[in-house]
Amino acid sequence: MAKTLLLFLFLSIALISFGQKKYSINGTIKDGTTGEQLIGATIRIKELPQSGTVTNSYGFYSIYAPEGDYILLFTYTGYEPVEQKISLHQNQEVNIPLQVKSDLKEVVIRANAPNNDNIASPQLGVEKLNMAQINQVPVLLGERDILKTLSLLPGVKSSGEGNTGFYVRGGGADQNLILLDEATVYNASHFFGFFSTFNSDAIKDVSLYKGGMPAEYGGRLSSVLDIKMNEGNNQNYTVQGGLGLISSRIKVEGPLVKDKGSFMVSARRTYIDFFLKASSDSTIRGSSIYFYDLNTKANYHFDDKNAIYLSGYFGKDVLSLKNTFGTNWGNSTGTIRFNHLFNSRLFSNTSLVYSNYNYVIESFLNNEGFKATSKITDVNLKEDLSYTLGDNHTVKFGVNLLHHTIAPGDITAPESSSFNNIHVEERYGYETAAYISDEWKASNHLTLLYGLRLSTIFLLGSGTFDTYDADGNVTSSKTYTSGQLVKSYTHLEPRFSASYVLDDANSLKFSYNRNTQNIHLLTNSTSNTPTDLYVMSTNNIKPEIADQLSTGWFKNFLDNNYELSAEVYYKWLQNQIDYKDGAQLLVNQGVESQLVYGAGRSYGLELFLKKKYGRFNGWIGYTLSRTERKFPDINNDQYYPATQDRTHDISVVGIYQYNKRWTFSANFVYGTGNAVTYPTGKYNVGGLTTYSYSERNGYRMPSNNRLDIGATLEGKQHKKYHSSWTFGIYNVYAHRNPYTITFRDSKTVPNTTEAVETSIFATMIPSVTWNFKF
Amino acid sequence: MRLTKLKYYSGLLLIAMVVLSCKKVISLDLGNDSGKLVIEANITDESGPQYVKLSRNAPFTSTNTYPPVTGANVTIYDSTANLYFDMVENSAGTYSVNKGVGVLGHTYFLTVNTGGQTYNARSIMPQHVAMDSVATSSNLLDKTDNKRMMTVYFNDPAGVKNQYRFVMYVNKVQVNYIFAFDDQFIDGKHVTLDLQQSEKDIFPGDTVRVEMQNIDRPVYTYWFTLEQQQGNNPGGAVAPSNPPTNIAPSVLGYFSAHTTQSITVVAK
Repeated sequence: MAKTLLLFLFLSIALISFGQKKYSINGTIKDGTTGEQLIGATIRIKELPQSGTVTNSYGFYSIYAPEGDYILLFTYTGYEPVEQKISLHQNQEVNIPLQVKSDLKEVVIRANAPNNDNIASPQLGVEKLNMAQINQVPVLLGERDILKTLSLLPGVKSSGEGNTGFYVRGGGADQNLILLDEATVYNASHFFGFFSTFNSDAIKDVSLYKGGMPAEYGGRLSSVLDIKMNEGNNQNYTVQGGLGLISSRIKVEGPLVKDKGSFMVSARRTYIDFFLKASSDSTIRGSSIYFYDLNTKANYHFDDKNAIYLSGYFGKDVLSLKNTFGTNWGNSTGTIRFNHLFNSRLFSNTSLVYSNYNYVIESFLNNEGFKATSKITDVNLKEDLSYTLGDNHTVKFGVNLLHHTIAPGDITAPESSSFNNIHVEERYGYETAAYISDEWKASNHLTLLYGLRLSTIFLLGSGTFDTYDADGNVTSSKTYTSGQLVKSYTHLEPRFSASYVLDDANSLKFSYNRNTQNIHLLTNSTSNTPTDLYVMSTNNIKPEIADQLSTGWFKNFLDNNYELSAEVYYKWLQNQIDYKDGAQLLVNQGVESQLVYGAGRSYGLELFLKKKYGRFNGWIGYTLSRTERKFPDINNDQYYPATQDRTHDISVVGIYQYNKRWTFSANFVYGTGNAVTYPTGKYNVGGLTTYSYSERNGYRMPSNNRLDIGATLEGKQHKKYHSSWTFGIYNVYAHRNPYTITFRDSKTVPNTTEAVETSIFATMIPSVTWNFKF
Repeated sequence: MRLTKLKYYSGLLLIAMVVLSCKKVISLDLGNDSGKLVIEANITDESGPQYVKLSRNAPFTSTNTYPPVTGANVTIYDSTANLYFDMVENSAGTYSVNKGVGVLGHTYFLTVNTGGQTYNARSIMPQHVAMDSVATSSNLLDKTDNKRMMTVYFNDPAGVKNQYRFVMYVNKVQVNYIFAFDDQFIDGKHVTLDLQQSEKDIFPGDTVRVEMQNIDRPVYTYWFTLEQQQGNNPGGAVAPSNPPTNIAPSVLGYFSAHTTQSITVVAK
């Protein structure tokens, strides 16, 4: 099947080479004020209604047309549309700066109709959020957060109250590929998941692919969250920041060389620990708890054809209890990218990406001192090319070579300590991939996006590799030398999406894609913890595989002001991982003996109604879904609901611009409770009440719901500076959403047992942030 | 401090920060899967009566009383010494031998015959690792009102796998907490081990008895699984399940041949 597809792909490319003589129009679309390149801006030729393209991640576009006079139409959400006349007699470059819509009036009375890109694009299951919207949605403690806002979209489920972990269409939290300027972010949360590592100030563009993953992405089963950082203003120096309840942030940006290069530095730090210093308790005074993020970026455009981008992220959480223990963890990433335009048809991006996640746990106790460390380091070399073939084919192809080094755990301890020095062998591997895809406007109605991704993992020595049987006993053991191949797996991943446009306002879409995953997260806890452990596919652990089918109907109405979509999906998962009872995952050389393997499936319906424009905008999302897992030793090998199974999920977001200064917002969420295991009996062993269970996840936590509201007050206009206040109330009606339910001997009635529900944030939590810019 | 406890500690700190959390007792509509056989069988290296208790589990909503299983045939067989202990039912559901003693390194087989079904289990009495002493120290995580914590000291033998279980009694009442440890990180060390728990506050003047058991690997897995499921793991405990038993066919409970040593101190 794969071969047929490949043949088809090359044939279709060959065919179009015989098309009529056409010229290209290409260029870069930028924000006229800051010089930031705009991602996903639309370019159309008025005279050719079926034409149209969008800018890539670097703001670059390329479009074809026969010789003639045309009007080009440039549009981008939140920006003034621009029309440009051209006479096309040779290949031509058109670079257009777009201006942000600033005046409220123009938002209401609009000259140009909003576009209907969502109808025509073959891409299914993609969610794009613009930062303006993210900044308006009220959140916990006023910390604007892209991950929390994303969890308000259908098909995306938060992993718990206040938690930034998310599940997409029933996938696990580790099955999301989270990319920050192409670098994998392994642990996207701070403070045990209450805040995300993405400081909104530094973020330019967020895309989440829930299905129909384009072939250029791979390596995770459920979703791709592609986050791009701001480039920095290449026109003027600006400083902006904010003072919030728990953190403050500042961003500085400006031109390195006007019009040619810019930089951006953005930092955020919490300051709860300053309050600890005021405590009367010396232990609390000597303790620390904080996190910080530092985002940096710089770019330089040598000429119209060559540009270089450097970006870096450094974040860390620190938590310590005086003289007792300390822990810290964090990600650091770095990306060097080089853009080169070979000609108006061929665009190239070369990236060298570094990514690291590590944690340290230390005990300072006299006889129990130790330091445990673990880290994962990636170096990734990527080459991505985009080739415009005729006026109806865009071919993307590329390769990447990703090297992993995983140091699962080391313990160092002083001689006087109760602990030994322990070293768990490092693991090394390469993930390689090559892909090709073609977006083909087959007719005015039909657009196809189809491609293939060939992915391979090579697990390499040095080290000793044990093979385990189903009971976790070693059946064989082999030692490999440095660089020697231990095991490799190769997969061909077909990706296919199609859209059929019924008319200007209606389309049907379909997609099928296969994804594989060779980096697996081992954690037997339900929430993000700093001690999350990653392993590669090995002789014991097979690559995880997901196949997803989805189809959807997209409709725009009231002059494209409203978007309505209905998508259904079905996903099959293979080689899913769970743990044996009593598994010990930390610093364990034989960790693979603790694992069991099973299957999963998930299916659902997602409804989404969005009002994109106007003083009042927002959306309503509803998801009806089922997510199940199946393991040989759990529930007699029958499918059972996964923890993240959520039958109903509703989110409503509304933003209302009352006048030039006041904007109000609200969001409401409702969801079926997590699937959990409750006792169905009790007995006594070891002198203690012990509970007996009959099935995994046979019960439900109570449903949860919450309303948050927010308001933004823009300061009066000043020539030199601008300020604003953001107010928020989280959990307005103080709903007690259950966090955990535990069982214990009753504290009031002797000789009986009781169930205890714990809620966090069981009260309304107000917040205020002051923002400035000059 | 234990590595596996760190998540718990950091979670506690977090919860302490989030003072907005609240707890309440709720009523849940729980299923009833009661009447299942529970076998709790122990043989220790302490000369005296050895007990096997047979009962049935009860619904969550009823009182903590468990119907005894009477009229069963129960034997413990020392296969190393080829010696049978015939267990006699002295009180309903409790089967015992008055004078029995387990021997270090010996392998024991349990046979229970009840309701037309025979249940078998095997457990090996480990070598004895002795506690040196038990001391009182300041509670690591909660120093309010001068709360204390018990710390035990012992030498873990190098090069062998050891598993330990501790049982704590404060003023003769058993503390509702399971302490199960292995020597993965402490092999061959002079060990200082804090028995940190938040179920029962200990204050100076309290009489505390600490029992140390050396247990075999399957019994350790049984207790460690239960320990991981204890309800006070904030931020999500592991999915609970019946711990893997060493009795076949599978029932609730375990058979443990273990050493026992107790030290009683007055908390300072």
